[in-house]
Parts: sequence; structure tokens; C-alpha cells
Amino acid sequence: MTDSMERREIRLAGSGGQGLILGARILFEAFAIEGRRASQSQSYEPTSRGGFCHSDVVVSEDLSDFPLVTGLDALIALDQVGFDRSIALAKPDALVIVDTRIDARDAEGRRLHRLPLTERAVVTGSGRIANMVALGAFVALSGFVRPSSLDEAIRRETPEKFAALNAAAARVGLTMGETAAAA
Amino acid sequence: MSTRLTALHGNHACALAAVAAGCRFFAGYPITPSSEIAEHLSYELPKVGGTFVQMEDEIASIAAVIGASLGGLRAMTATSGPGFSLMQENIGYGAMIEAPCVVIDVMRGGPSTGMPTRPAQGDIMQARFGSHGDRPVVALAPASVQEIYTETIRAFDLAEQLRTPVTVLYDQVIAQLLESVAVPEPATIHVHERKWANGAGAAFQPYAAGEDGVPAMVRPGDGHRVHTTGLTHAESGFPTQVPPVVDRMMRRLLGKIDIHAAMLERYETLMTDDADVLVVAYGITARAARRAVMVLRAEGLRVGLFRPITLWPFPEGPLRRLAGQARAVLVPEMNAGQLVLEIQRLVAGAAPVHPLGRIDGEPIAPDQIVAAVKELAVHA
Amino acid sequence: MLDVAPATPFDPKDYLRLQYMPHFMCPGCGHGIALRALLAAVHDCGIAKDDLAVVCGIGCSGRVGGYIDANTFHTTHGRPLAFATGLKLARPDLTVVVVTGDGDCLAIGGNHLIHAARRNLDLTCLMLNNEVYGMTGGQASPTTAATRLTSTTQSGAIEPTFDACALAAAAGAGFVGREVTRQAPALKTLIARALRHKGFSFVEVMSDCTEVYGRKNDLGEAPEMILSQKADMRPEQHNDAPNQPFRPNALPTGVFVERDLPEYGARLRAHAAMIRGDTAR
Repeated sequence: MTDSMERREIRLAGSGGQGLILGARILFEAFAIEGRRASQSQSYEPTSRGGFCHSDVVVSEDLSDFPLVTGLDALIALDQVGFDRSIALAKPDALVIVDTRIDARDAEGRRLHRLPLTERAVVTGSGRIANMVALGAFVALSGFVRPSSLDEAIRRETPEKFAALNAAAARVGLTMGETAAAA
Repeated sequence: MSTRLTALHGNHACALAAVAAGCRFFAGYPITPSSEIAEHLSYELPKVGGTFVQMEDEIASIAAVIGASLGGLRAMTATSGPGFSLMQENIGYGAMIEAPCVVIDVMRGGPSTGMPTRPAQGDIMQARFGSHGDRPVVALAPASVQEIYTETIRAFDLAEQLRTPVTVLYDQVIAQLLESVAVPEPATIHVHERKWANGAGAAFQPYAAGEDGVPAMVRPGDGHRVHTTGLTHAESGFPTQVPPVVDRMMRRLLGKIDIHAAMLERYETLMTDDADVLVVAYGITARAARRAVMVLRAEGLRVGLFRPITLWPFPEGPLRRLAGQARAVLVPEMNAGQLVLEIQRLVAGAAPVHPLGRIDGEPIAPDQIVAAVKELAVHA
Repeated sequence: MLDVAPATPFDPKDYLRLQYMPHFMCPGCGHGIALRALLAAVHDCGIAKDDLAVVCGIGCSGRVGGYIDANTFHTTHGRPLAFATGLKLARPDLTVVVVTGDGDCLAIGGNHLIHAARRNLDLTCLMLNNEVYGMTGGQASPTTAATRLTSTTQSGAIEPTFDACALAAAAGAGFVGREVTRQAPALKTLIARALRHKGFSFVEVMSDCTEVYGRKNDLGEAPEMILSQKADMRPEQHNDAPNQPFRPNALPTGVFVERDLPEYGARLRAHAAMIRGDTAR
């Protein structure tokens, strides 16, 4: 079993309304484009907006594997509550990508990247596409999927009128991630 | 390639599988976390000439489903704990009059209103004993979105073949999970046609069965004008309280499950051949158990998994055989200890059987099972 | 469905399962008159026995269906309208008649009545109202009149009663009527009109329970109870003058509602066709 075929656990964490479920769905699709099978789940609460929210992607070639997270290989946190409530689940060598606004001292020892996700999203067009910027950065820093797969997944999973903007935001994130990786 | 991969949520897979299995009638009432099944079918059924109706409650929903079944259609309802409780009387009626139908129960935290958005496995004994009196029971327990698809189709096939309600039990986690499903081509999906009565004449006995224990069903309008009643009835279909007749009819009704035991049996094993500790788990918990077995095997512990897919009737023979070789049996489930009672009964002292219950609305994690097995392995 | 009665005379034996006679109903029970009126109406409408489905609930009324030589279903207590809804939606070709009672239809099954009326599916519901739970030993029902003695109102009933017809009408039924068993020909005509009506039709049949209700309340034998219906009921021609010459609280008889409303089954099928059209594009 090659390294790329191993079980991978990825979480997008933040607050309701930040597009976390869409982000996870796009990741799921990006893995599917590369022939990888995954399970995508989310916190499921009666309220639709606000409050801690997360959505998870577990990639495993074993179709009967446990589909929920047990130890995160990667955590993407868009706000403080998402980070605080999820960091304990991250493995010691996990990739942790957070917005610059976040106090991430608890990340201790993990591969932490504090990036201006929201700031660059606003410059690109809207604070609401910080999720796409984060996905781009994640792809660059993790290498779990190819950038072209992410681009294709965004086009498949988002409405036509937002696809171009979302793809652009993801490219901004990719560049940001590549720069961070080189640093 | 006769299949295609499609990303589906569990409840969506259930709805599509029902349509693929020939379901042409759905009646239901909104309840979390099963409502997506109704939502999808409200759109999918009309497309294929089927009927979707939202009823005034769950009692009416299962009643309408049985009514449509009596009319000749493959029919289904879907609900969750509180609704499943309300349906029990009419599920018993369906078993008594032998009306094929499928009941989906997406299990959530109970009792009472409990935790509508959290998973549980607390309805499995209700599926077995929830309706008053003795009745034939068939219940299936899929563990993945893929299996929700295949087991929903199998539920229709078993219901139609055995002329009885079949329950599919899965929990909120799988219901809301998105997974890739290999959706078979329609031509490859086979559901047996209900055995229809084609005899004629005044001597026709609607509840007389041959060796398979399943009487042919009368389709209204086909010439047999028969009586259908939830009262204990004779072969004629009319009520009786004559003890030998009642005994004969009840034994036939219950016995048709035994006759078809081989057809009903479905289970999966993982590394059980040399297992000192046997884990018995179903549904989402079986997937946690599977991960636990992999982890424990990597550490050199001889652990195996027995996963019933047909929950009722329980695959007794295979379980007894495997438990007989083990030094301990562990039964993790999201309830206070339900299937463990059946396993204790079946193993009957051949090995100690331990419960591992979780009732806080969280799924059982692989680590929990790993720790419990290690504890057993130390003492085994 | 015939608009006028066929030339062949009505013979109840043609519509009964004679092998199950004698029936189990008590001497003087009004349900037998209701059964005969239903069968005569079926005959008048020219409904073939193979195309007739009779769905019953539980109680004395629930046993009426078993004597009819048709597709008969004895279901669970209070739920016959829900079973019938599934059957009729699955098989629009069948004429589906529900026979229920005051307890079956108004107490345990009340929710199903109002929603069946609201949906307006093409069902004919006959509610045999004998003001009591006869089969279980004479307990009070939602139509037991105040002061009446029953086995659960030993010193007289105190609850207000339901006006089932007003309930069905308010819930949206397309056809609503009431008749007494004393007026058997009028009852037959009313049921025939209900059968011909396209949509949910509700017929309340004022029946008598001689054995457990009549006896307990000293209402006399069957003939006296039947005759008393004249005093308790207001025939249709007097509905416009509620205070004369009958008692002010007398229940009116006749047809109260007859309106053309969209029938649910047809509506559902048209809606399905629309969805299919949408997806074909």
C-alpha cells in the first residue's frame, strides 16, 4: 500500500454559514475524481446558522472502514471556535491551516500555517469564499489531491454563476500555500 | 461495467434503491433524521408513475402503505424512533394479513423524543418485539451508504417473497453520510414478483399455503372476492377461534420465516478463524469494530468481527460456531445492551459475552472497542 | 357507475356471503338495515362486486364488511380511512367504501376523518352511529348524548358530543349527508348519491344499539327505538325551519354538502404528469 492510499482524515471547522459543508463536498469530489473513495459527514444540529460547525472527509480504500474522524491528518479552521473545538483531535504531525485572526497556540508541534484566508478572500471578491481560499492552500500544503482535481471538483459542485469566482479563490489559496511551503 | 459510482447520502440512496426495487407507493410523515427519504421520493416516485403521499401521522402512513400493498403495489414508509413506535400496531397487522411492505427506521437517540439529530441503535428489540403478540419478523441492518442501497432492494425482495413487512434499521450517522455508491444498472436489479392467486371457484382458500408457507396473494378485481382481517383467521380468511385451526395458522405464519432461513441469512466475518476475542457488531458500530480489529491485529492480538446484516432472524448457526472457538465475545452497540442479550442466549455460556453500550448520542469510536478488547484479552 | 338503477331487481342475496349467515349482529341492531341500504345502493349504481372494496375498522360496524361478497378488509381500530387512502391511490379503478362507527371514526380515528375530508380522495365513508361502543360492552362514545347511561358513564354522560357531519363538512368533504335507519329507502338513495359523488363523501347513518345501549337507557325494544328516531331527527324538508315542528336540538337529516371540489387522486396524477413533463424537458 503506497503512502497516498493510506487513510486520510480532514476536517473543515468554523461556524455555521461559512460554507464548510460545501468545502468538504468539494474535497470529497476531488478525491473521487482521482478514483479515491471517501466518506463525508458533518455536525448535524437543528440550527442552520451560527455556532460551532464542522464537516469531515475520511478517505479510505476500505469501503467498510470507520467513516468518522478518529485522528485528524489535516485541520482547516476558519475561526476560533472551530479551532478550539477540533485541535485536540489533530494527530501530533497533523497539518493545521488557520486564519491569521486565530490564536493557534494550542497547535503545539503540529505543522501549523497561519494564513490570511479571509483577508485574501475579501480582496478576491468576498469574505464568503474564504472556504475556497482555504481549500487551495490545503491542496498546496498537503499534496493529498492534485490542483487540477480541486479545480474540476469546484466546477462540478458549485452553481455556474459562482464557479469562476470560487475557482479563482482556490487559485489564490494555492499560490498562498505554495509560498508558505517554500518558506 | 454494469455499475456507476455516485456520491449519495444514506437517505438518498435508500430512496433511489426503493424506486429501483420497483417501489411505487410511499406514505410517510416528516421526522428527523429520516425525512430526506420522503423528500426524495416525493419527486422520484411521480417520475416513474408511482405515488407519494404525506399522511397525517405515522399510524396513517403505515396503514396507507399496507392499503397500497393490498392493492398490488410495492410500498414503503420511512420513519424514526417515535414514528416507529406509532407504527407498531399496524406493522403487526401487516404481518398478520401477510401484506408485503418495507419500513425504514432511521435510529436516533431515545427514549421518547430523545436526541433527534444524534445516532443510536436502540430500536432493534422494538423491531423484533415491538408489536403485540407473536409475529414473523425480518429486519436488516446495513452499515454503509452502499449497503443501504443493496439492503433496501433486498428488503423489497424478501417482503414480496415472504409476504411480510420487512424493516431496515440504520442510524443517523449513515443516514446523513455522503459516500460513493456503486449503483447497479436497473437491468441487473431483480426483485421477485409477488406470488399472485390465479385459481378460481368458491373453494378458493386465500390463506392456504404450500410447502413454502407463503400463500398466494389476491389482487382485488381479479375475481377472488376474499376477506382480509387482523383477527386470527382460518385458511378461508374468515375469523376463527377454533384452537387447532388457530394453532395451525399461527405455526404456518411464524414458520414461513424458518422455512426460508437460508435465504434470509446474511452476515460478514473479518479475521474470525483464529479469533480469541470475537466482536459482534452491526451498522455503524460494525465499522468502528472493523477499524478496531485492524488496529488490534497490527498489535498482534487475535481478534475477529462478526457482523450480522440480517439482524432478524439472527444468523444463529454461524455465530454459535464462531463464538464456540472464542475465549470472549464483545458486543458494542449504541444502546444500553440489546443485541448482547440475544448473543448471550445463543452463546449460552460457551464463552463470556460482554456488553459495550454507549447511550450519550455519540457513535462508538474504534478506540473504545480497542480498549475493551484489550481489557478482555488480559483476562481471557 | 350507473346514473340510474339497473332493470334487474335488487336481491341482497346476490351481494352477501350467505355461507357466513346467520350474521353475528344482535336482534334489532340497526347495522343490518345500513348494510342492506349499502348493498341496494351498490346495485343501483351498477358497481360490480369484483370492483368493490369495503374497508372497515374495529367494532360492530367493523364486522359489517365481512358479510359482503366483495373485496373486504377488516383493518385496525380507527384506521380504515388511512388503509382505504392507500388502497384507492394504488387502485383508482376500485370503488372503495369505508364502513366505520362513531368510536372508530370520531374518537380513535378522528384525525384520519378530518384529513380524508381535507384531501378529498374519492372514498365513500359510512359512519354507523349507534352512540356507543357496542362490541366492548357499551362504553360512552363521542356521540353519546348527555345524561345517557353507559358502562363508563354510570350516572349519565357529561361530555358534549360531536356533530360528525359538521366536522366532515368543515374539514372539506365534497359530499356530506345524514339519514336514519328508519328511512331505509331514503338511506339507500343517500348512499347511492354518495357513491356517485366524485370525491370524499361522508354519510352518517343513525343506527340503534338495542342490546347494550337501548336496554341500559330503557329505550325500549327495537321497534320502539326505531320509532323514536322520528322524534329525534329532523327530516330534510324541515331543515330550513329548525324549530318547527321538531325539537330544537334534533339532528337534521338529508344532504348538507354537495360540491364539486378537485378530487385528490386525479389531482395527484395530474401533478405527477407535470413532474414527468418537467423532467422530460
